[in-house]
Amino acid sequence: MTGVVAALATLVPALVPAALVQDAPLAIDAIGRLLQPGTLARIVIEGLGKAAIYFIIAVGLTLVFGLMGVLNFAHGAFAMLGAYLGGVLLVLAVSSGTGPITRVAFFVVVVAVVFALMTAFGSVLEVGLVRPIYDRTPMYQILLTFGVGLILEEGARIVTSVRGLQPEPSWTAAASTIPAPLESFHSILGANIRGFYLFAAIAGVAVAVSVWLFLNRTLYGLYIRAGSEDPEMVEALGIDVRKAFTIVFGLGTGLAAVGGVFLTWDPTWGASVLLNIDVLLYAFVVVVIGGLGSFKGTLAAAVIVGIADSLTTWLFNTGIVPFPGLPEVTVFALLVIALIVRPQGLYGVEEVGGH
Amino acid sequence: MSSSGTETSDVAEADDRERSTPLLELEDVHTYYGESHILQGVNLSVEEGEIVALIGRNGVGKTTTLRSILQLTPPREGTVRFSGEDVTGESTHEVADEGIGWVPEERRMFGYLTVEENVRVSVGPDQEYEALRDYVFELFPDLERFRDKEARNLSGGQQQMLAIARGMVGDNDLLLVDEPSEGLAPMIVDQVVDALREASAETTMVLVEQNFPLAMDLADRFYLLDHGTVVESGSTEGVTADDERIRRYLSA
Repeated sequence: MTGVVAALATLVPALVPAALVQDAPLAIDAIGRLLQPGTLARIVIEGLGKAAIYFIIAVGLTLVFGLMGVLNFAHGAFAMLGAYLGGVLLVLAVSSGTGPITRVAFFVVVVAVVFALMTAFGSVLEVGLVRPIYDRTPMYQILLTFGVGLILEEGARIVTSVRGLQPEPSWTAAASTIPAPLESFHSILGANIRGFYLFAAIAGVAVAVSVWLFLNRTLYGLYIRAGSEDPEMVEALGIDVRKAFTIVFGLGTGLAAVGGVFLTWDPTWGASVLLNIDVLLYAFVVVVIGGLGSFKGTLAAAVIVGIADSLTTWLFNTGIVPFPGLPEVTVFALLVIALIVRPQGLYGVEEVGGH
Repeated sequence: MSSSGTETSDVAEADDRERSTPLLELEDVHTYYGESHILQGVNLSVEEGEIVALIGRNGVGKTTTLRSILQLTPPREGTVRFSGEDVTGESTHEVADEGIGWVPEERRMFGYLTVEENVRVSVGPDQEYEALRDYVFELFPDLERFRDKEARNLSGGQQQMLAIARGMVGDNDLLLVDEPSEGLAPMIVDQVVDALREASAETTMVLVEQNFPLAMDLADRFYLLDHGTVVESGSTEGVTADDERIRRYLSA
């Protein structure tokens, strides 16, 4: 393990903060600042806010893989579509005079609308494109879903350029619909916390609880859990497992899109066509660390990745580590470590998806 | 489990109809796995209330016959009729819904679901779940004792009981049972046999079983398969493994 860290440190010097190694007084100063209760609380709460969004996006990816054995490479594109769709609706609904509570109410309505539309879109995609290739090798599914992702990304690029929405680096009109209390910082537990992350953390808990209740407290959720183990056996018990596939793919698409709507208000993301790949990578990191197909694992991994992200963002923002790529590098380093130490993921089973 | 429908018309006519329509009928069924021609024209029929054993060496197509009935591996040629209705080419869940249950080889528990959840999955949405659950729990007290345990923690015998229970709660007229005694200790096999007898009081049964004396003991009739076709059939009454027509096909 130490060998790996050392090797990584040579490759990416900033990963192991140079200050920690070379400049002992500065390192002690950094640790001192980190251990202040206010700082820790801020890192944890902002981390949970980020974790919530990663979880909302990744949970669909893991459920689709668990039930159908399909690695959906179009998942990031669904989040991107959700971000634009939600962004457009927010811009249409919100004017400069709209009060903060009304803005939040609009946001909730927009989330519901985007979820419904994108769930329907995902269901249609599943029936029309994915269903015919379940029996093929995974390569077909990867090529198909990756292709769908590219088409959606280019489609979005064309539409946004024509409409002058400025697809890159990000579209600021949607971000500016955020109500002031969520954009500003609040003093909680002695820490300065951006309202948005608290809002996102609460939403993440709501989504996690809803998905958990659906899977564990409804008959349909039971069919889905059984289908993740052995779809053929479920079918032989008289249950239309194909319908379960459609529903799960649809819900996964809808949730990814809801995650996208949250990204429009997230100060570090925003609506952009680049979300297709960026979000896909983060979602994959989360589901691989958590264990492909595992709900619990996705939740745990989202928290790990979210807090790592917020810790390293703090290290950069305070100038302790002067390397802007630090959060991203850390997240992928976590993936590498997980693949070496525990390739099946935190809660993964050696073999998932019955086919 | 099935309605006899004798309340209105005269009994003779109803009897006649039952005799003319077997519960299950396979007519010249040909089934392939990819290019391998496994079933090469299987004909068989099962009357209501019977236990019919499918016997034969490994790889002659016994399991494939069950998979063809359920349309898990749909036949390329031939017809499968259930209750007089052609079910060939239907989806498996539709066929299962019409009243065919499956107790597959190697049990195929949902290992990460609890024992009770395994039972729950098998009960249709319009059925009285609690009554059916209590019924199988009474039959198999071990299942009740471990109802909240994940099924993968059960012993082989308990898993087999659960597989049979799963087939019994589905309101099935026909149960396809594949190798129920495989890998179980003799004492456990006795319990499984008791469970199967209990189940057969409720439903018709097609039984695939390697243990020849056990198959003959349980079943009313047998079909002997070889190279994907039926080569012998008849009543199990007095049939032993020494029988020339049986020995020829069963000895290695």
